Amino acid sequence: MTAALDEPRATARRAPLTRLLRSELRMVLRRPRTLIGLALLALVPVVAGIGIAIATGSSSGESVGDGLASLVEGNGLLLPIFGLTMSMTMLLPLTGAMLAADALAGEAANGTLRGLLVAPVGRARLLAVKAFGVAAVSLFAVLLMAATGIVAGLLLLGGDGMLTSSGTTLPFGAGLGRVLLTVVLVTVQVWALAAVALAVSAWTEHPLIVVVVSLGVVIVSGVLSVIPALDWLTPALITTSWEAIPEVVKDPLPTATLLTGVLRAGCYILIGYSIALSRMLTRDG
Amino acid sequence: MSGSTEFGTVAGSPAAVPAARTRGLRKVYRGTVAVDNVDLEVPTGAVLGMLGPNGSGKTTTIRMLLGLVTPTAGEVELLGRKLPEGAAESLPEVGALVEGPGFHPFLSGRENLLRAAAAEPHLSTSRIPAAVGAALERVGLAHAANRRFRGYSLGMKQRLGLAGALLVPRRLVVLDEPTNGLDPAGTREIRTIMADLHAAGTTVVVSSHLLAEVEATCTHVAVLNQGTVVAQGELADLLDAGSATLLVSTPEVEAAVDALRDHRIPARSLAEGIRVDLTATTAPEVVETLVKAGVPVHEVRRQRTGLEDLFARLTEDPVDAAELDPTSDPLVPQETR
Repeated sequence: MTAALDEPRATARRAPLTRLLRSELRMVLRRPRTLIGLALLALVPVVAGIGIAIATGSSSGESVGDGLASLVEGNGLLLPIFGLTMSMTMLLPLTGAMLAADALAGEAANGTLRGLLVAPVGRARLLAVKAFGVAAVSLFAVLLMAATGIVAGLLLLGGDGMLTSSGTTLPFGAGLGRVLLTVVLVTVQVWALAAVALAVSAWTEHPLIVVVVSLGVVIVSGVLSVIPALDWLTPALITTSWEAIPEVVKDPLPTATLLTGVLRAGCYILIGYSIALSRMLTRDG
Repeated sequence: MSGSTEFGTVAGSPAAVPAARTRGLRKVYRGTVAVDNVDLEVPTGAVLGMLGPNGSGKTTTIRMLLGLVTPTAGEVELLGRKLPEGAAESLPEVGALVEGPGFHPFLSGRENLLRAAAAEPHLSTSRIPAAVGAALERVGLAHAANRRFRGYSLGMKQRLGLAGALLVPRRLVVLDEPTNGLDPAGTREIRTIMADLHAAGTTVVVSSHLLAEVEATCTHVAVLNQGTVVAQGELADLLDAGSATLLVSTPEVEAAVDALRDHRIPARSLAEGIRVDLTATTAPEVVETLVKAGVPVHEVRRQRTGLEDLFARLTEDPVDAAELDPTSDPLVPQETR
């Protein structure tokens, strides 16, 4: 090793960003709980599809349930949308929170954050890498659910078009478009909660706290939204946009409502990452 | 152990810019002062041992040296660049193992190092696999490289941490308790690696509880107690300063003591020789006096306080530390409060 210091070396000031992102993604996707979570999420539309297929088969013609669920029978393309909106009540926010918890708090707890900081990866850059990991994997989770939902829906329930909740029927292509739109809307909402979770994650070394606080936000927000006296608060609540997602199966599309939801999510993302960044810059590693 | 002279003689080559320097460093955690008034200097090329009881501020100081923790007051200079502004410049040339090895339990040793390597600015993508392989080889983990980190023993985890610090040729390597959990063979290997680094001109900062370890491997020592540096300097100087006595073995004990007393040199008789106090005189003078008086001298050797004695004196009781002769120059006593 005597000659080590004379070796030619790359004298870049920073490690290439793509290399960091790839490394982050590979690590997150190798983590056992990520994989188990993804597998379970992929199963959700399948299980729902099987349930609906059995229910419609046995009690011929009888409605399976309220809202979207009743629309799903014989209407395969609605299954992924049903699966995603159903998971938006708890499973997907939980996934986003878990990813964000592992991203900073988890890495701080097992000492790997320190290694990255000493490497060094700049603190703002590190947050960007982490945000990318959380965003990419949550998008992947939603896409995976949509894919298994489409396949299960078409196989179990059939259908060559999409019956909207307004009573019209969309052709297959347009129906598929609605599924993709749902993917986008749901992903953005998961990103919003993940941003809040990442802000908490930047403050603590305990991943559990991140998950608890994030779910607390979801639950409290849900409770506040049903109190009539607090109606004025509704536009600010994170869950308000989530409740609007099922409207994606209306015809014509309620663009304004859906867009408001995306904007609201954007505000949460902005606030979440601002807090996370301000904390990351001063955090003790 | 036997290594002490080997490293003791190659004391840090004088360089204008120290590898690391802190001035008036202070860190307060929620009202508790963890580190106060730390003026540490790590000469380039030195192997500096940081000693101190638990909670004396070693790790906090190291974390501030690496820019992991922002000091409450004071400043840090790392490889000639002030932190935190210079961190992007200096940190790529610093390897560190702080507060135990941090790795992902579900990845193998190799995968963990590949991830660490991805973040190293001074490693081009094409050289990563080779660098990781070499680092694993160097710490003796090549055989277990593909096992999950979860299943590693404490010693293997420690080795992997060391491999992470050695991924890239460094100018400074900081090791916080590197021999923690290692078996004697592992401890020896760490010592060899530190000697190699030293020989290659890398500056090493190592914190340890094991005084023998520090005595065997370090050229310089900094002793911390209650959050502040109570002594620092070259190891040999520090040890000499603590003990100003000379052991002379001679069969004619009485004659020797008398001869020295005639010259106002304080001496005491022992079983097979005498012990001479060197505060007011030098060793050659003592020998000259004895020989002139016709006392047969069989052996003369300077009695060295072990590092353990020095450490005990500096850290056990603040009063004892204050009593340490402030005029003995190599010792750099720092104001405690």
